[in-house]
Amino acid sequence: MSAVAVDQNLLEAAVGRLAEDGLTALRKKALSNFGKTGFPSLRHEDWRYTNLAAAAELSNSCLSEPSPPAAPGSVDIGQLTAEIDAHWIVVSNGTVIPETLSALQEAGVSITPLSASVNSVEVHIDDPLSSFNASLLSDGLLIRIADNAKVEKPIGFLLLDDAETAAGLSQTRFIIDLGRNASAAFVELHRSSGNNAHFANSVIQIELGTGASADYVRLQERGAGHLQIGRLQALLREGATLNYTSIDVGGKLIRNDVVATIDGAHATANISGIYLADGKQHIDNHILIDHRVGPATSRQNYRGIVGGRARCVFNGKALVREGADGTDAEQSNHNLLLTDTAEIDTKPELVIYADDVKCSHGTTVGQLDKTALFYLQSRGLTLEQAKILLTRAFAGHILRKLPLENVKKYAHQMIDRKLDHLTGDSGQ
Amino acid sequence: MSTEANDIDLLVNRRYEHGFVTDIETDSLPPGLDEDVIRAISGRKNEPEFMLEWRLKAYRYWLTQKEPVWSHVSYTPIDYQSISYFSAPKSDADRPKSLDEVDPKLLETYEKLGIPLHERAKLAGVAVDAVFDSVSVATTFKGKLAEAGVIFCPFSEAVIEHPELIKKYLGSVVPYRDNFFASLNSAVFSDGSFVYIPKGVRCPMELSTYFRINAANTGQFERTLIIAEEGSYVSYLEGCTAPMRDENQLHAAVVELIALKDAEIKYSTVQNWYPGDENGKGGIFNFVTKRGDCRGDNSKISWTQVETGSAITWKYPSCILRGDNSVGEFYSVAVTNNMQQADTGTKMIHIGKNTRSTIVSKGISAGKAQNSYRGLVRIMPQATNARNHTQCDSLLIGKQCGAHTFPYIEVRNPTAQVEHEATTSKISADQLFYCRQRGIAEEDAVNMIVNGFCKEVFKELPMEFAVEAQALLNVSLEGAVG
Repeated sequence: MSAVAVDQNLLEAAVGRLAEDGLTALRKKALSNFGKTGFPSLRHEDWRYTNLAAAAELSNSCLSEPSPPAAPGSVDIGQLTAEIDAHWIVVSNGTVIPETLSALQEAGVSITPLSASVNSVEVHIDDPLSSFNASLLSDGLLIRIADNAKVEKPIGFLLLDDAETAAGLSQTRFIIDLGRNASAAFVELHRSSGNNAHFANSVIQIELGTGASADYVRLQERGAGHLQIGRLQALLREGATLNYTSIDVGGKLIRNDVVATIDGAHATANISGIYLADGKQHIDNHILIDHRVGPATSRQNYRGIVGGRARCVFNGKALVREGADGTDAEQSNHNLLLTDTAEIDTKPELVIYADDVKCSHGTTVGQLDKTALFYLQSRGLTLEQAKILLTRAFAGHILRKLPLENVKKYAHQMIDRKLDHLTGDSGQ
Repeated sequence: MSTEANDIDLLVNRRYEHGFVTDIETDSLPPGLDEDVIRAISGRKNEPEFMLEWRLKAYRYWLTQKEPVWSHVSYTPIDYQSISYFSAPKSDADRPKSLDEVDPKLLETYEKLGIPLHERAKLAGVAVDAVFDSVSVATTFKGKLAEAGVIFCPFSEAVIEHPELIKKYLGSVVPYRDNFFASLNSAVFSDGSFVYIPKGVRCPMELSTYFRINAANTGQFERTLIIAEEGSYVSYLEGCTAPMRDENQLHAAVVELIALKDAEIKYSTVQNWYPGDENGKGGIFNFVTKRGDCRGDNSKISWTQVETGSAITWKYPSCILRGDNSVGEFYSVAVTNNMQQADTGTKMIHIGKNTRSTIVSKGISAGKAQNSYRGLVRIMPQATNARNHTQCDSLLIGKQCGAHTFPYIEVRNPTAQVEHEATTSKISADQLFYCRQRGIAEEDAVNMIVNGFCKEVFKELPMEFAVEAQALLNVSLEGAVG
């Protein structure tokens, strides 16, 4: 198999077309980083199940054209965001819509374009996709939450990618900095319009100061032609808490990397997610929790429901460094396989260099419990109804812990819509 | 049989007891590897032409390969040209027909190991095909086995006596292209064991081979091939110790098991090669390819291993569950301390219907050692109703050691049921406290806990080996627990 690589010359030309601003130096550096690696191939351990050839091909074709207009297409943004009460920041094809920024007036929250503040933060460009992102970034956002600020209303990111007229390529970068004891909630909603191919590549960096806490919910329901690669790069200081949940139902090829670095004692990282796939979808979740300091707690809890010819990948890793004593790390990954053409590849890893630790993982791949199905049928449900009920309950384990009521409701609807598809799709 | 009053410190601080060198003249090839060396090895063994050709093919393929780097171990690169690829005891020309003819010094070696060949052979009813360096020098109980139709002989003998079986089965489970070390082994393998159990025969005794690396700077490249015909059963025991040496010694063995319809092979290993000293100097590099093929329906292959030795262990005894209703098992205890590194585990490839596999892996890491479990469970689309349960637990003793788990699970059939559990912890303070408050001394309590931790695997070992495993772990088992 000959892997398709991103054409560095095309990339360089596209980077050159971007206007000179505060990010120019960063783009250059990122471009040179990317030039050394290119996209990782299947030979790379972290990418052995996910082939980026389609992403590279799409990138090449988009890079040779000037970037598409940033205006949102025919989508009614108000309608998309109506169900979740949040300060919505709309990012259309990688460009922040400025009006949605000025509307956000909340005490303790400051939002600046990354091009104006790039020197005050560290921009992550250490992996190929992040450097690809930074080299093509038109602009990003720096969101600072002041010390002790409690942001009442969640901050929403609507990543709206338009693939109505032509294929597209978009880069999104947010850097979120929560001060000491600050708290905030974030909702990242991926929507799309049009059925053309689109490759969205986002990097969210979030730093939680001492005692800070954040809820972060990612809801992804992109169109069938979308490739999306996302990275959440989190740093937790002493006593900080991050609750992250990711829900994937859409897209063609989805890859999420979550890296949570625990840099302070008594920090807690709860990373969870659900993925539902059918058709030829490919959804890959890679989680790394880097315990540098103990005692601290981390939980990884992912569930998947896979039908059609879909393939889902889970790779969870808890890394406990030397001296990170008192670490308590748990991973679980449970999967339901619905069809004989679907595939699950799961790899829950533990890498431990300290002895005073409590680490465990549990993984299962299986079907719905036959006795439970029988019981429900004996209570008058049809087999189909019983299946849907149990599958919903299976997903409910993750949904139940979602932080905000209207987010929870929205997520339930998302899952239900997809389940209708999936269980219909599974045939018998 | 239990050893009383041993504790974890003893285990951690134990020195290699089998570190001595038997002074027997060996007839070695000079260090280096090229086609002439392979021809020389093949020539000395009077091998038929097909064997030499196979070796050369493997060698030429090996030349195109790069040494793998994916395992979670680190070591200084091996200079393959500084290794001598053949070493045979001098008395090669007139090999002993019975134990009386065996070089007394060799017997002495076994005495020192605490496994007197005579005693063991007679009392325990175990036939021993002793591999001393590269050439088998003593084979016992051949008669009794021959009566049952069982062939149990040195590999080099099988190549000459049973070329049709070798041609048919050699490389059919581990092809010479399988991996870097398997290719190397295929090119230069010196000797090993060959076992053939005819149809319907239950092997009348447990077969055992004692491997021993003796001459310094000599890589040991065994090749073992076990074929269990329809409805047969065999239990095979492999144990190893090596004398203390400062140079790193390379060991790259290949073991192939073939279980045909309704056959069962039980393969047990106690591996206690020289692990190197406290500073990581010396020790054996143990890069082994072991694989069993459940070729027939209702066949079963069970691997049990207790790995306490070697500086570096890189070993994944695997099962290809090809036949319907076939069963694969892997039970492992891996102990690493000081600077030892182990990257070990298994692969269970489910191809047939209703195939089942069980993996129980217990890793104990102490000192500055690194202990990894790496396993693959793959359920192919046609493997309906496949079942796997995996449990891997790690115990950490000391602040500087590491325990890692890399399980790969690939499922392509919706009727499969796959479960994987893993835990990593140090000895639980709660458990220790509970034992203490019941009046049990701390070291006894630690013993009990470690015993309990490994018990699931030890109970799978044949009796003789269970005893040795206990001695190797230096902790008492059943005796202490009652």
